[in-house]
Amino acid sequence: MDQAEQYKAVMSEIIAKQSIILGPDMAIARAKKVSGVEISEKGEVVSISGDTAEALKRLIDTYVELSGQIVKNALGPIFTKYPDIKQDH
Amino acid sequence: MVPFELLLVIFISVALYIAVVLFSYIGLRRMKRDVLEQGRDAKRHMYEIAILKEIGDRTGYSLNIQKILDVIVGSLNQFLEYSAVSYMLLSPSKIVFKVDLDEPVSTQFIKDIRTRMLSSLSALLGRELTETEVEETITGAIMQGIPTGPVQSYFNIPLVIGEQLVGVLTVSNTKPGLYKESEMEILYKIVNQASQAVTKLEEVVKTEQGKIAAMLESMLEGVVMTDRDYRVVASNPAAKLVIGHKGEGALTIFDFIDAFKGVFDVRSKLEEAIKLDKILTIPEIFFGNKYYQVVVSPVKSNVGLSRGEILGGVVIFHDITHEKEAEKMRNDFTSMMVHELRSPLGNIKKIGEMMRSSKVLEDKKASSEYVSMLYESSSSMLDLVNDLLDVAKLEAGKFGVEKSPVDIKEILAERVRFFDTTARDAGINLKLFVAGVVPDRVSVDTKRIMQVLNNLLSNSLNYTSKDGTVTVICFNHKNGLALGEEARAYSVPWVLDNMPVPATTIPDSVVIAVTDTGEGISIENIEKLFNKFTQFASSVRQSEHKGTGLGLVIAKGIVMAHGGVIGVGSKKGTGSTFYFTLPL
Repeated sequence: MDQAEQYKAVMSEIIAKQSIILGPDMAIARAKKVSGVEISEKGEVVSISGDTAEALKRLIDTYVELSGQIVKNALGPIFTKYPDIKQDH
Repeated sequence: MVPFELLLVIFISVALYIAVVLFSYIGLRRMKRDVLEQGRDAKRHMYEIAILKEIGDRTGYSLNIQKILDVIVGSLNQFLEYSAVSYMLLSPSKIVFKVDLDEPVSTQFIKDIRTRMLSSLSALLGRELTETEVEETITGAIMQGIPTGPVQSYFNIPLVIGEQLVGVLTVSNTKPGLYKESEMEILYKIVNQASQAVTKLEEVVKTEQGKIAAMLESMLEGVVMTDRDYRVVASNPAAKLVIGHKGEGALTIFDFIDAFKGVFDVRSKLEEAIKLDKILTIPEIFFGNKYYQVVVSPVKSNVGLSRGEILGGVVIFHDITHEKEAEKMRNDFTSMMVHELRSPLGNIKKIGEMMRSSKVLEDKKASSEYVSMLYESSSSMLDLVNDLLDVAKLEAGKFGVEKSPVDIKEILAERVRFFDTTARDAGINLKLFVAGVVPDRVSVDTKRIMQVLNNLLSNSLNYTSKDGTVTVICFNHKNGLALGEEARAYSVPWVLDNMPVPATTIPDSVVIAVTDTGEGISIENIEKLFNKFTQFASSVRQSEHKGTGLGLVIAKGIVMAHGGVIGVGSKKGTGSTFYFTLPL
């Protein structure tokens, strides 16, 4: 899987995890507001335009902005599956 | 026939009219929509302000997050349409799950919410909660047996206090796609603001608790605080020491009950203090080789609505062992003084009675003997009273010396001559050594220094056996050198044993010492030598040398008043060296 695909997969998993934490309505609504990221109705990342790492950062930030650092802490297990992508966002 | 131009004008006019009407209609609709949106925004904002005020008013932003959630849940229907609003709160032993229904829902609906909320908490905690007990409470609309729709729309708000997850709040509905992002965000904002306020309050409370804990830790008294159910809520290391608890864990009331079994019923005393709302003082208990004064008091709230309410009790253990020892010493000292005064007084009374007889008065020899006895007894009493007065002056800080330059060598020689007769009678060899460098004039209070010499010499002669030697030594001390080394340089007898570490900070002085080959003094008795209340008993000739023990106390006071130091080195069976310094 190339890096762009990896980013799409990570971001889709983040949205899925946030859907469990916050509920799908809120998780997808917030994700849709992230610039440079196209999200399907099911909450999957369809495409990313521009810097993928920046897009990932913006996605995480939107959830942190909503309910604090605790939602970011819950993302650790996702990043362990994608060692090429660091969670220093 | 209408001309074409006229038709065109009419058409354009109609078209223009329609366009104006249409645009006006669209504009009005847009305006109406904007006004409605503004109204909704204002309503949301008003709700936000109102709910935060209500939380503040009703809970005072207490540390109880459940109270805050109940306020939010109780007023949420003013702002949001929902079938159920619910919260889960984590506690060490269970999860509190409370659901407020705005309309009847099925049991499956409740089950769904519960599952989703538990999933949310599990995802945030990174662990499963399936084993944790969930305590469920449902309020609001009556649940009916009839099937209602499933959970179609919902959102969760994690509840975080001080960066710790404490629970989750969920709003759910049987209708799909009901919640707009802006509405959800307002509730997020409200919950976050309330959480932040609680976090700040918790920090303040923690800081204050930290201060109290530090104060408690530093207290010498053992302190144990309990709640109304006698559970220990705070205790300090001193309390652990009292009961000899060596474990790391927190103390329980049973640790104290077990430790004081048969000595002090801590539980009963706490019950009594709380029930009677009274401070109880147990003047003295003897426990673990120590004496304690125990104070048991109710603990009352001094803030808020609960002011004056009894929160629990506190037990304070004050170690009075030293006070008890001091009291015993004082009593012993008083008894000893009374005894010492009674003996000569008794003698005086007896002699007086005998001298009332004319026969005795006629016998000149007997009269003279009785007068001598009267003189000795009254002198003995006077010496004792003088000693007591000197000690009283020392303790009051009113002991003064009148110094003038004198020939210290001559004073020493004169005192040795004075005691020589006593020494000869006892078969003791009395020697004097004065180093050549000792100055001719040293500024001292002659009378007082002679008092010190008398005390040291008489003690040495008393405690030295026949054929023993008592040596009076005098040499110059140089700051930075040790007295023992200086004495060794003059090859004079000097007992170093049990002498404190040589103080090299003693300024340039004249050193006067008395070394004997007597029975010596044990370490424990050396410590008591200069104490007013402790008179050591010589093992061999206790009755022979028993005195008030004040001589050395006064000698110390005199030397210190001269700016000098006094000390002793001694070894059992070898002898002792008593020395004092007179600064130059």
